[in-house]
Amino acid sequence: MQWWCSAQGVAWAWSWRAYPGVWLFIAAVTLALWSLHRRSLARPQPWRVSLMGQGILALWIALDWPVGALGGGYLASMHMLQFLLIALVAPPLILLGVHPEVWESLRDRGLPAWLSAITTPLTGLIALNVVIVLTHLPAVADLLMATQLGSFAIDMAWLLSGALFWWPLVAPVPARPNFGHPLRMGYVILGIMFSPVTIVLVAVLVFNEHPLFATYELAPRVNGLDSVADHQMAGLLMSVGGVAITLVAMTTIFFKWVQESERANGPDARDELTRMA
Amino acid sequence: MRAATFRTVSSLRFLRLGAALLVAAACTQGSASARDESARRVAETGLYGRALDSALVIPSVSLADLDGNAIDLAKLTRGKLTLLFFGYTHCPDVCPVHMTNIAAAMRTLSWAERDGIRVVFVTTDPERDTPVRLRSWLGSIDSSFVGLRGTNASIDSAQRGLGLPEAMRLPGAHPGDYQVGHAGQVLAVFADGRARYAYPFGTRQAEFAHDLTKLVAASAGANARDPEER
Repeated sequence: MQWWCSAQGVAWAWSWRAYPGVWLFIAAVTLALWSLHRRSLARPQPWRVSLMGQGILALWIALDWPVGALGGGYLASMHMLQFLLIALVAPPLILLGVHPEVWESLRDRGLPAWLSAITTPLTGLIALNVVIVLTHLPAVADLLMATQLGSFAIDMAWLLSGALFWWPLVAPVPARPNFGHPLRMGYVILGIMFSPVTIVLVAVLVFNEHPLFATYELAPRVNGLDSVADHQMAGLLMSVGGVAITLVAMTTIFFKWVQESERANGPDARDELTRMA
Repeated sequence: MRAATFRTVSSLRFLRLGAALLVAAACTQGSASARDESARRVAETGLYGRALDSALVIPSVSLADLDGNAIDLAKLTRGKLTLLFFGYTHCPDVCPVHMTNIAAAMRTLSWAERDGIRVVFVTTDPERDTPVRLRSWLGSIDSSFVGLRGTNASIDSAQRGLGLPEAMRLPGAHPGDYQVGHAGQVLAVFADGRARYAYPFGTRQAEFAHDLTKLVAASAGANARDPEER
């Protein structure tokens, strides 16, 4: 039995398989978040609980059968879906789901120096893009995906870099008064939609005449899908998914900006911002 | 200001360390990989294919095409570069990957180069690979691929003649089902009817595309030198 999804070289079958490592990991994440919220359980905010639940669910879907298993060793397109879910969907949802009291308590106690150091916007931008480059270098990806430990390392690198990227946008601690809403919008655009790394990767996946990753090129076919077409789908998924996530994030930031301006300057500010948009 | 600088430097160090660890892990573990082996072959011969110790003459074995016409394997594989593979259509892994990779590589070649290549697929499972099934399976990959059938004895004889292990039935996942164990390499047979290179499972599309261009030219040269062809 496998504990984590990785390339196996055996024919794909639509029959369920258990990955206990994934269950343990999801249980550990849930337990850690629950333990963080013990004090605020008496005053739950349903929408935050829902967001956090969706984040954990996105993580689970990405790691477990069938998406995790297909992405681990059969289809580049599923690998890309995993990346989107693990790095760009789950972390912001989980961070948005954190109760304000937890942030307040973190602020009161003071954030550990190392955590402050690695949660700057610059670090987030670099971390996500460096991890995208490293985990999509064919030599590195093919080598790591061949083992369960290697696949686990890739998934964790995505999750951690995703958390670092989203932290300055979503987490109110530490306070970053200089990181205003226009900068935040630029950060999202530069980090995902117009990231040079993403653009190059998408171009290589879509336009290369041969598949990028040996793992998927030499994997047993799933429903007869050609590996070049699969790689093209991966590129399109990264492009379309990245744009969609960027637009959702930018819309959210914009309306938060409007809301905060209204609170600070009255309703006239909304007209001003709408004109600017 | 100093604290902020320190934080940035610390975070960059953290990132650099992580990146270095990942790359180091990749480099150390990958040193003895198949990639190095194929890179060595390319450096030595200019081809990704494994040169056979001595050229193998394709045995004269009687098989049948999908219309039931008798075909002599030795005659069929003469005249232009032939990629010869023994496999079966129910194969869950090696056969479809090899065949689709060859088809994909051929799509990147010029028409003239493609015209200089013949792909022959000899079934090792004649019982289940009926002409209809074989035609449909090959047609879904590349309609120019040639499918051949035969008796188990003639197919075994062809494999023996090429120094390949004879295909054998293995129990399948379900009762009554079976798989067929067979050689995984594609043989590159030159126009003079001699197999000179083998492509094991794991050969990539880019590697096939790289080699096929060179093999077409080399094969034509071998044909010109072959007295029988003249």
